[in-house]
Amino acid sequence: MFRKSDIILAAIILAVGIGASVFSAGGGAGEKVVITVDGKIFGTYELFEDRIVTIRRNGHINKVKIRDGEVSMAESDCPNQDCVHQGKISRPSQSIICLPNKVVVEIKGGKNEDYDSISR
Amino acid sequence: MKIMTPYPADPLPISEKSTAYRIALSAALAALALIFSYIEVLIPFLPALPGVKLGIANLVIIIALYKLGFRYALIIDLIRIAAAGVLFTGAFATLYSLSGAVISLIVMYLLMKSRLFSVTGVSMAGGAAHNTGQLLAAALIVSTSKVFVYFSVLVISGVLCGAFIGVIAFLIMEKISFSSFSLYQ
Repeated sequence: MFRKSDIILAAIILAVGIGASVFSAGGGAGEKVVITVDGKIFGTYELFEDRIVTIRRNGHINKVKIRDGEVSMAESDCPNQDCVHQGKISRPSQSIICLPNKVVVEIKGGKNEDYDSISR
Repeated sequence: MKIMTPYPADPLPISEKSTAYRIALSAALAALALIFSYIEVLIPFLPALPGVKLGIANLVIIIALYKLGFRYALIIDLIRIAAAGVLFTGAFATLYSLSGAVISLIVMYLLMKSRLFSVTGVSMAGGAAHNTGQLLAAALIVSTSKVFVYFSVLVISGVLCGAFIGVIAFLIMEKISFSSFSLYQ
């Protein structure tokens, strides 16, 4: 049922697969972080450029952290702190929404929004 | 004097090596593979991970490859994909399946011919090749190499599901005698 050569084959396939995956993961192609406040675009930032964006609008403060291709709400003065607790997002069409402060942080893909929508 | 009855007591002696027999068997296998494809559409294996499938239809294709040869396996697979595409999977999924199936079948054929691996190993490589082919088609269609971030998930699932299908194929071929028309034992 199993031969030794089968197991070697499995190991080679897995190594090549994971290697290729890691290789292509580096250097993201044109994904942007779009921040909107109260429906208006506050700013657009590169997903793969580390920075902290401080948003001061309507007497509220939010800090969005972009790091290693992941985006999180580092700080917010909103009462429920849901946006801070939501954690990190990293893929196109994911978003963090701070409802009390009307801040929406969204990742937009370069060319394609999300290939999952047409594959199954 | 021989009395003719409408139904002969014994089935007509059709040689299992004859083309007619092989074509009839291929048709039955294509129908079976189509049903397996349908079962897979009905019961998503892991809905959270798109593209991860058990590949039950591949069971039929592997057995056809081992017992009828590459040409029959290819034709059975193409019929399955065309019929499944028209009936339930849709245009995009058909393109993905087609590229996956052709690459998978070529890989499995070469590995089978090498005689280095058991059915399990051949099926495992076939599963991984199938997912690689699908991803290549996806990368071409959406024209980005970003989809290869998902490659490791598909390769791991391809190896695991392929191994599972390979073990079942091994057991089936062991239990059911196909000896009279087998090409590669």
